[in-house]
Amino acid sequence: MGPESQGFASQSRHHYWKIALVALGVACAVAAGLYQLAHMYVLNEAERNIQAVLLAHKGMHRYIQEVMHPTFYKLKAEGLVAEKFYAPEILSSSFIVRNQHKAYNEERKAAGLEEVYYKMAALNPRNPVNKADAAEEKLIRMFNENKELKNYREVVQIDGKDYLHVAMPFLVNQQKCMKCHGDREDSPPGLQLLYPGEGGFNEKVGDIRAVESIRAPMEHQYFFLYILFASSFAGLLVLAGLLFLNTRLRDMVRVRTQALAQEVVERRRAEEEVRKANEILEDRVEERTAQIAAANKELDSFAYSVSHDLRAPLRGIDGFSLALLEDYGEALDGTAKDYLGRIRAGCVRMGDLIDDMLQLSRVSRGTIHREAVNLSAMAGEIAADLQRATPERRVVFEIAPEITVFGDVVLLRAVLDNLLGNAWKFTAKTEGARITFGRQEEGGKEVLFVRDNGAGFDMAYAGKMFTAFQRLHTPQEFEGTGIGLATVQRIIHRHGGSIRADGDVGQGATFYFSV
Amino acid sequence: MRTNMILLVEDNPDDEALTLRALQKNNIINEVVVARDGVEALDFLFGTGVYAGRDLSLMPEVILLDINLPKINGLEVLEKIRANERTRLLPVVILTTSNEEQDKIKSYTLGANSFIRKPVDFQQFSEAIRQLGVYWLVLNQGPPLVKG
Repeated sequence: MGPESQGFASQSRHHYWKIALVALGVACAVAAGLYQLAHMYVLNEAERNIQAVLLAHKGMHRYIQEVMHPTFYKLKAEGLVAEKFYAPEILSSSFIVRNQHKAYNEERKAAGLEEVYYKMAALNPRNPVNKADAAEEKLIRMFNENKELKNYREVVQIDGKDYLHVAMPFLVNQQKCMKCHGDREDSPPGLQLLYPGEGGFNEKVGDIRAVESIRAPMEHQYFFLYILFASSFAGLLVLAGLLFLNTRLRDMVRVRTQALAQEVVERRRAEEEVRKANEILEDRVEERTAQIAAANKELDSFAYSVSHDLRAPLRGIDGFSLALLEDYGEALDGTAKDYLGRIRAGCVRMGDLIDDMLQLSRVSRGTIHREAVNLSAMAGEIAADLQRATPERRVVFEIAPEITVFGDVVLLRAVLDNLLGNAWKFTAKTEGARITFGRQEEGGKEVLFVRDNGAGFDMAYAGKMFTAFQRLHTPQEFEGTGIGLATVQRIIHRHGGSIRADGDVGQGATFYFSV
Repeated sequence: MRTNMILLVEDNPDDEALTLRALQKNNIINEVVVARDGVEALDFLFGTGVYAGRDLSLMPEVILLDINLPKINGLEVLEKIRANERTRLLPVVILTTSNEEQDKIKSYTLGANSFIRKPVDFQQFSEAIRQLGVYWLVLNQGPPLVKG
């Protein structure tokens, strides 16, 4: 990555912080709103549950007061019930409801539910169990001071658990209530008999006599709250995650796009450089080619000059040596004649050297014109030429038929001329001389060979044979310039082939080559 | 008029002497005119320069022409011989040290009648000269004379 994209990365990190902050703020706001809503819902739900209990109570109260009481008074008026009879178990709505609620709680407990606290809390109850506690007393006063207030609710904690405490005025004292709750003396004698104290008496019309105080656990509602909260929080988390991921992906795409753009620019630059380098190279190749062409041309004229200018003096030396021998032979003694003979032999040998050198230089120059060449036929012609030149020699030629390769006919002729010529030369002192031109498979490739049973050579010098002017025999043993095999190797190499020699002293030689 | 004259174009005095000796050795006693460069050869053939006013009816039976010559080389001389109406049919034998393929191709392209390479060995050279003489001066029927 380049420095630019690193800068971009830190910039996007900054970006993430911003997003995280915004997401946190939104999450908090949403959570707060949700909490408010949920809290309200939970309270309402809890209240509704409590209300259900209270409404059941109210129904009970009404039934007692609206059905049972008139029936009781009617029976009393008819004398069916004794004047003094009073039993709260069947006449006091608060007694009945309290005990009904007690039974209700027992049922709840049996069903595995927590009890619901309920009290008909009064400041001056007939039954002490209905006596309001400090909090309830305060509530009764509050309701009395503000008659408009119909409901009070509060979440209270008891033993670390939340409860919804609801209170509502039970009833406002009316004139008819005074029959039993007014002056003690005015109340039914049965009642007086039953309740000796002042509890439940001396109430005033218009006053709120009692409140219904009820308290229900909020566990279930909270459970719901937890679920709501957890799920909304999880949702928010997922949302934030998606948002973050989206931003990240976008940033990654942006960074990658920028990197790619950078890469494209760099590639173009590299391509441009390569193109320029190529141009330079091409120019250089052109220059070198021109230089090589010039050098080749120089070499050509050099070779031409060698061919002419070195040979002409030789011819003079040889010619005039012979003229001396012919014209002044009788004036020369044997030694002088021998010297002149040596001069002439040297001239011929130097002439051969020049010719072979020229051939060696010629095979390195010029282009190769490849065509199908029948080497078997060519070897046959050469064998015939050799035999014709020295008819007295007896040599058996074995030439494998139909050896055809793809190469330059002139250069391949030089190869076979040299190899067969060598074989011919080095079998000169061999009885039953045999020269073979054949082919064999070597590692899936066709290899050609020229084999003789002549003088052979020491394998220690096998590598040296292909070096120009390197000879393994003295001119007295076998004549030669030492250029032939160098020429052969150069031609084979120019054809993309290879050549090697195999043999032993007195055991003949074999030259393997491929084209 | 037909003569048995030989025009030898040769710049190397050794080769000249050896060629003359070879001719003599082989009993070729024809007149030999020696030109030592291309200009001299053309002067002789066209009657210009030092040969101004020469009787141009006397033309050589054969021209022995070396390639490597000072001033104007043998191939240019050959080209001019073939370009001239009077000399275009004269037998020209390239007698050279060169063994270059290019020289052979150029010589024959320009209309040489023969291409002989001078061997280093004088005996072989002498033999070549002998055969040359026998062939071009005895066996060969030259072209009809061009009337000047």
